[in-house]
Amino acid sequence: MAIQTTVDIDKLDTLADLAIGETGIVKFYDENAMTTLILNLGLLPDTAVQMVRRSPFGGAFYIRTAKQQVAIRVEEARGIFILKQ
Amino acid sequence: MTKERLTKIAIVGNPNSGKTTLFNLLTGLNQKTSNFPGVTVEIKSSKLKLDSKHIEIFDLPGTYSLYPNSSEERIVIETLCNPASAYHPDIILFVADLNHIERHLLLATQIADLGIPMVFIANMVDTIPEDLVQYYESKIQNLLEVQVVSTSTRDASQLAKLKKVIIEQLDLQGHRKAKDKYFYRTTVAFQPATNYLKDVIGITNDYMANLVINHSSWLSYINEEVRVNLATKLPPDSNFIRGQINETLARYATFEPIVHKAILNDFEQHETFTQKLDKVITHKIWGPLIFLIIIVTVFQSIFSWAEVPMGIIEAIFADLGGWLVGNLPNSILTRLLVEGILPGIGGVLVFVPQIAILFFLLGLLEEFGYMSRVVYMFDQVMRGFGMNGRSMVSLISSGACAIPAIMSTRTIANKRERLITILVSPLISCSARLPIYAILVGFVVPPLTVLGFLNAQGLVFLGLYVLGVVSALGAALVFKVFIRNDEPTYLMLELPTYKKPLLKNVFYNMLAKVRTFVVEAGKVIFIISILLWFGASFGPSDRDAALAQQAIEVNNNATMSDEDKANLINTQQLETSYIGILGKKIEPVIEPLGYDWKIGIALITSFAAREVFVGTMATLYSVGQGGDEELADRTLRQKMQGALRLGSNEKLYGPATALSLLVFYVFAMQCMSTLAVTKRETQSWKWPVIQFVYMTALAYISAFAVFNIMS
Repeated sequence: MAIQTTVDIDKLDTLADLAIGETGIVKFYDENAMTTLILNLGLLPDTAVQMVRRSPFGGAFYIRTAKQQVAIRVEEARGIFILKQ
Repeated sequence: MTKERLTKIAIVGNPNSGKTTLFNLLTGLNQKTSNFPGVTVEIKSSKLKLDSKHIEIFDLPGTYSLYPNSSEERIVIETLCNPASAYHPDIILFVADLNHIERHLLLATQIADLGIPMVFIANMVDTIPEDLVQYYESKIQNLLEVQVVSTSTRDASQLAKLKKVIIEQLDLQGHRKAKDKYFYRTTVAFQPATNYLKDVIGITNDYMANLVINHSSWLSYINEEVRVNLATKLPPDSNFIRGQINETLARYATFEPIVHKAILNDFEQHETFTQKLDKVITHKIWGPLIFLIIIVTVFQSIFSWAEVPMGIIEAIFADLGGWLVGNLPNSILTRLLVEGILPGIGGVLVFVPQIAILFFLLGLLEEFGYMSRVVYMFDQVMRGFGMNGRSMVSLISSGACAIPAIMSTRTIANKRERLITILVSPLISCSARLPIYAILVGFVVPPLTVLGFLNAQGLVFLGLYVLGVVSALGAALVFKVFIRNDEPTYLMLELPTYKKPLLKNVFYNMLAKVRTFVVEAGKVIFIISILLWFGASFGPSDRDAALAQQAIEVNNNATMSDEDKANLINTQQLETSYIGILGKKIEPVIEPLGYDWKIGIALITSFAAREVFVGTMATLYSVGQGGDEELADRTLRQKMQGALRLGSNEKLYGPATALSLLVFYVFAMQCMSTLAVTKRETQSWKWPVIQFVYMTALAYISAFAVFNIMS
């Protein structure tokens, strides 16, 4: 499992671009101090992630992978690049 | 008896792995909380005797990996990567939830690389098919080369099995073969730095050295000299973040074949219970509404359920005081005990029921999985105020007491967000303000019913609480401008599957919070109540003769009952004491707020703890304490009602003075214990001083404004 991807980065969306109910496959990260936490929470390369809902006052998303639910800020989601399914 | 070395065992695991449940199961009530030296994080520990061997078990904070984000998670590195630490374990019990094994194995491989002997506790097996449990058991055993124990820590009958495992590990001590398998190795470029650490701080393990290199900027046991030297040994282009990501991905690759089934990307066809519930609980409209209902219910329960136990505690202390007076020689020590120390302790313990109930209910919500939803829902709102969704939990706790609230900010990683939460938490009205509100609210409005069903006094009460919340948010906005932010901030939070709360965990958590409150508040209030007693009992040397003269006059007054006489003598004593003199001295300062010297005295005595206000007023108005509390309150209110402003016929406790005083108590930092905790948590004098000054200024200016507008 490595970060290299055969997908053209320009064709990727970020997690924040997913509409409610849409799913994407994690491909690439904007690396920063929080990236390891993103990985720790199971948002690994090639995992599917679904946009479930927005938080009541905005600013954050409720997303889920096959195994769990995660709360993530919009900025944090912008640093995760996905391939829309 | 020769003192045998304790074998130290640390429980390590991800958040929500059942770690604390295991700790509670193994230790029962035999737990102690101590502060980790140098940093303000608590570690729960317990000393046990297993099969004639003495062990000490620690419950380390939950973390996802050895690259931590909050100060709480950092403790895991501080202990595991420092062989000289008093908390460095000989054996690690690694707890993992088999339902989420794909995530827990990451930390497990990191721990394995540290070379500390470990047992893998495969937890929550009751929710997984038997054959899958067996599959994981053998695979993990092969992967990590450690003993794997399948269990459910929620099932108390597993205790014997777990103890047996620990005993087996203790027997193995000293008979283990050296470790030769590493899941991850750093590049040779880091070898000079690794060798340097091995030389100077006695680390023998490569991966441990790698972690120290990554975390040297904050590890408390790495001194400045080592830090500087270490930096010179690093490759010039070292990118720690990149390294951490590479390491994480490399580790996943080592166990991915085992958990392949678990990370299959198909979402389950049917919605799980958690997802169904979250549709409502985190809903755009229902979510905040449900939160509001829960919070109102929680606080309503606190006030109604705590009433009886609080009455009992007060009665016990009153009886005890009476008994001591009757059975101890009439000496100054007896008076110090009965009038100073005993009420001081009683004043702390009386709030235990409210704090216990709040933390029991919050613990239930936390165990169920609700609190992380609150963090998620309100993160954006709190960010607007320079805080974090996690601040919500602290602010709610402040409704009972700011001390545990401030301590709970340890989960907030960002310094500014944490600091702002600490600084504004004491503005939320805590339990200790309640008795003051109760006495004074009647002077502001009569017990009218407005709009057919609302109680006017209840509305003022609610108004004071709202004022506390609004001012806390307002103060946060101001601090947001002045406190620099130079650290990343994040939400990124697992929303755990909803679980039936384990009452044992909730109960132990509540006990820990109550213990913290009693210790933290108790030690400060104890000292101050002794000082205040001296101040209130003694005065300048020429006063004794005058007091004696007055006492004779009072005693000769045939129209007074003995009780009234005693109360009046008490009043005269307090008036002429050092504190009484000080109260009169500060009268010019507080006069613009509508207060007289009596209130001045009460402001001084309640400086250690707000609730003392009521007792002082009772003494000043010659109301006997002890016995029926409601009667005493009523009598005090009547006497205050009759009090006139000096030199006029105007009632002192008009709505203006009463409201001014209420507003003063909403804002004022009248709690030394909170200041002491702020000092410890921020590790500086600067912040408690700022907290005290800004809150007192806010109190003074607001009280001044209220009094002048209303009169």
